[in-house]
Amino acid sequence: MALMPKRVKHRKSQRGRIKGNATRGNRVVFGDFGLQAMQGGWIRAQTIEAGRIAAQQYIRGEGRLYVRMFPHKSITARPLETRMGKGKGEPAAWVAVVKPGAVLYELGGVTEEQAKLCMARLAHKMPIRVRFVRRRPA
Amino acid sequence: MKESLQVKVREQLGSRQSRRLRASGLVPAILYGHGEKSISLTIPDSQVKHAVQHGARLVDLSGDVTETALIRQVQWDAFGLEVLHLDLSRVSADETVEVVLPIHLKGTAAGTREGGVIEHVKHEVRILCPVVSLPEHLDMNINALHLNQEMTLGQLTLPAGAKLLADADEIVVHCVKVKSEADLAAAGAGGAEPEVIVKKKAEAAAEA
Repeated sequence: MALMPKRVKHRKSQRGRIKGNATRGNRVVFGDFGLQAMQGGWIRAQTIEAGRIAAQQYIRGEGRLYVRMFPHKSITARPLETRMGKGKGEPAAWVAVVKPGAVLYELGGVTEEQAKLCMARLAHKMPIRVRFVRRRPA
Repeated sequence: MKESLQVKVREQLGSRQSRRLRASGLVPAILYGHGEKSISLTIPDSQVKHAVQHGARLVDLSGDVTETALIRQVQWDAFGLEVLHLDLSRVSADETVEVVLPIHLKGTAAGTREGGVIEHVKHEVRILCPVVSLPEHLDMNINALHLNQEMTLGQLTLPAGAKLLADADEIVVHCVKVKSEADLAAAGAGGAEPEVIVKKKAEAAAEA
């Protein structure tokens, strides 16, 4: 089941713009290795889930995977073959707004070689350019 | 191990000059402490990266300033690729300093053979340590860690004369059972659409 908020104040949101780089959530905090976004973008709940499954199937209970993003934003769409007007469409998907530099997934309890292979599988699912990162020295 | 940094006193201050320095392969830094005047410095980028990547705490400054200093803070860019600025504080050998050290796990936990997974909860710890015995990191041996057991900060082996500045009962690492795919799916399950928070009419009237 794809992620989505439990309660929201408003069902629909404006599109907004992704400006600048991530100044928070841009370092590996929970695990030892991570996958960092090099571009900004919207990542759908289904994509987050696809990434999680791809990584989980690879690590098979050896390490621990952390998902560092959450789809807080609803995206609306209009039904096919409808005329313009009649207001904004209905929510069709939930997305996580990602800024360049944000750490999307983290992995702990595995070796660096295993983590690299796992993150490579996960990176294939992502709609943006990503890179493998290690924990920064304290 | 002490790293050595070749420093030059920086005359040009400000963000614009700092940006130019970074473009020419130098990292702006500042040296302060011991009640003396603070000095703005520049250090070659390669030397800074080498020192930081190797987890060096104490550095020997040479060049325009000859002193022993402690790396207090490292500022990184948004991607963690470049060091933007370095904070150095003067230290003497007989001093005790407050530092944050990384905790490295050593060995293989017995719990992993019992179907558990190691979860490293706390990666860093703040300690008060004499400069002479300042290590690059602290090691924790997890060979005796069984399933559903944990190790705390109190079980860390600290260097001579060092004092822990955190709760000794705080968990550093524990060995837990692996969550199955079904558990994870159940945790993620929800309704088709989220509930919308709406103020009820009676509540709104009461507030007014």
